[in-house]
Amino acid sequence: MMPRFLRHALTIARRDLTATVMTPTFLLFLLSPLLMIGFGIIGGLSGQAAGAAGEARQVLVAIVPAGQQDSLRAADRELRSVFSRDSARPKLQLEAPQGDAARQARALFDSDAIEAAAVLYGPLDHPMILRRAGAEAEGRYLAALATQALRAAHAPGVRSTARFETIAVQAPTVSGRGQAAYFSTFAIFLVTLMLSGQAVGAMAEERSNKVIEILAAAVPLESVFFGKLLGAFGSALLFVAFWGTLVANLPKLMPAGMAGALSDLSVAVGPIFPLLLIGYFVMAYLLQSAVFLGVGSLASTQREIQMLSLPITIFQFAMFGMASYAAGNPESWVATAAEIVPFSSPMAMAARAANAPELWPHALAFAWQGLWVAITLTIAARLFRRGVLKSGSPKRRKKAAV
Amino acid sequence: MQQLAVSASGLVKRFGDRRAVDGVGIAVPKGLIYGVLGPNGAGKTTTLRMLLGIIEPDEGERILLGSRHPRDMSDQVGYLPEERGLYPNMKCREAIAFMGALRGLPWATGRKRAQALLENAGLGHAADDKIRKLSKGMAQLVQLLGSVVHEPDLLVLDEPFSGLDPVNQERLELLIRGQRDRGATILFSTHVMAHAERLCERISVIAGGRVRFEGTVDEARALLPLRARYTPHHDADAIGTMLPGDAAREGGSWRFTVPDGGIEALLVRLIDAGHGISGLSIERPGLHDAFVRIVGAEALADQPETIA
Repeated sequence: MMPRFLRHALTIARRDLTATVMTPTFLLFLLSPLLMIGFGIIGGLSGQAAGAAGEARQVLVAIVPAGQQDSLRAADRELRSVFSRDSARPKLQLEAPQGDAARQARALFDSDAIEAAAVLYGPLDHPMILRRAGAEAEGRYLAALATQALRAAHAPGVRSTARFETIAVQAPTVSGRGQAAYFSTFAIFLVTLMLSGQAVGAMAEERSNKVIEILAAAVPLESVFFGKLLGAFGSALLFVAFWGTLVANLPKLMPAGMAGALSDLSVAVGPIFPLLLIGYFVMAYLLQSAVFLGVGSLASTQREIQMLSLPITIFQFAMFGMASYAAGNPESWVATAAEIVPFSSPMAMAARAANAPELWPHALAFAWQGLWVAITLTIAARLFRRGVLKSGSPKRRKKAAV
Repeated sequence: MQQLAVSASGLVKRFGDRRAVDGVGIAVPKGLIYGVLGPNGAGKTTTLRMLLGIIEPDEGERILLGSRHPRDMSDQVGYLPEERGLYPNMKCREAIAFMGALRGLPWATGRKRAQALLENAGLGHAADDKIRKLSKGMAQLVQLLGSVVHEPDLLVLDEPFSGLDPVNQERLELLIRGQRDRGATILFSTHVMAHAERLCERISVIAGGRVRFEGTVDEARALLPLRARYTPHHDADAIGTMLPGDAAREGGSWRFTVPDGGIEALLVRLIDAGHGISGLSIERPGLHDAFVRIVGAEALADQPETIA
């Protein structure tokens, strides 16, 4: 059964792929992202928002005896007025020393509860400041705070000399994960948004060519639909491969600092992440295209198809909205919902891959999403058979008669 | 007992309240050219589509090439739908190979056969032309070639002659006979009697969603009495009184239905009366007349229903 089904599907897919790729319009389509720079800017802005959200979680910690906390807090209040909203340093958090202050400070970097950018401990005139890689400014800010606090308490001329140490942090940072999660969601959304809309017109083409009767007579409708999906996916894959290669080589062309920042986007599942990302892109594409294929097959004119594109885009945005919220709030019920709702699941699960290390939910998610591709296609084929070919299924009628 | 390529009984298909097909049965022996005749809207296409499993009947059963699930046999079936359609951007050879591939034929074989088929059909020069460049008739031939490229056991053609000029109709008839000689069963629908008369070994006449006649072409024609055309040597009005009641004058000749007892007694009387015979022909009415008679009577009977 399966090889026959597949063979039929591949026959359809092959025709569709060549018919799509071997046209001048495909070139135009391939280069269309150039026209979408506007989209890129919007994406960049949201990316910044995600980055800002990440930084907002970072804190500076000063481990000082209770007596000195007030003066540090006052100095922080004073210095903070210097910064604009964008350049503001992370919030200051004060802790009392408990036993070994050095160990206490180091432990803060491993904590899951907070994300310390820099930690100060020891006497204020000779403090020790630990900081994360890339958090030089945060370290200097803590040193400046110490100096200010000293001057306020003693005399204007006093100086504080701090020693700095950069801490190498092994575990991915929460904010890095958050950014990677958001980035994955957005990437999948953008690519599916651009590509899956193609499927809407696929069946309309068959109907206007009147080839559908030949197809429907020769192969099962499910094969026809799946073949259409694969054909469209083939051209989408070419698109992704083309731009993926460009983007993958981009870090080599970028200034070293920027490239370093990119590699800082760490993910929870580790090196398997790109594979998961590709897998979820495939699922997102197949799922959404299956819906569009089905909806589009019921439309009989070009005009109807154009009318459909708006609700389709809104639907995609809604799914993206859910998934991106899930990316930022991995523990919330919305995240769980987004992971379960089949059409947002690929995006939400890609975000999850960045946020949480377990692998088994991904196996489950792929099976679940695959099931939904099949369900969607079957429903689409049924609707088409009933609505367009005017053929009800005999079994159901018999049951109704009984 | 002769083996059947297609059989069905009690097929019913409703479109809304209308019963487009209302209890059609059919039995197509293997290796025959079988015609389904009927006026427009009689339910021919719906019947064929149900037989092929493109749509499911609301009631009734069908067996196609020995299977109760016609779709399982789709690789052994060729089908030319009533609404012709091909991808306009495909080359002829590719289009034929594609249709073969849909029925399980490897692409390479399909291309090779497509070239040969096109050349046999006199379209060899167009093998690399895109479908959109072809005339309607040529595109239709290409589609027909596509439906036989995988050498099916059963070939179903829905109104294959419509839209073709006489030369291409002739080509199509040749092609159909060629398929029959190869061993295929051909089932086709038409409302043009001339083709059915020349090609079909058996026919079914469908009208108003029901089968009105089943049998050979000769049996259909035998439903009507023989007609005679008599040209007297010496014409006179009196001849009319000697001939059967339906006699009508046509120029110097008379046309009438041959009486039940034969024409000999009548001829003796005509010669004795001195009218003489300068011309005489006796012939069966064509399938056309038989069809009109079969369908016409039923159509009249159905009329109140359709008006209501």
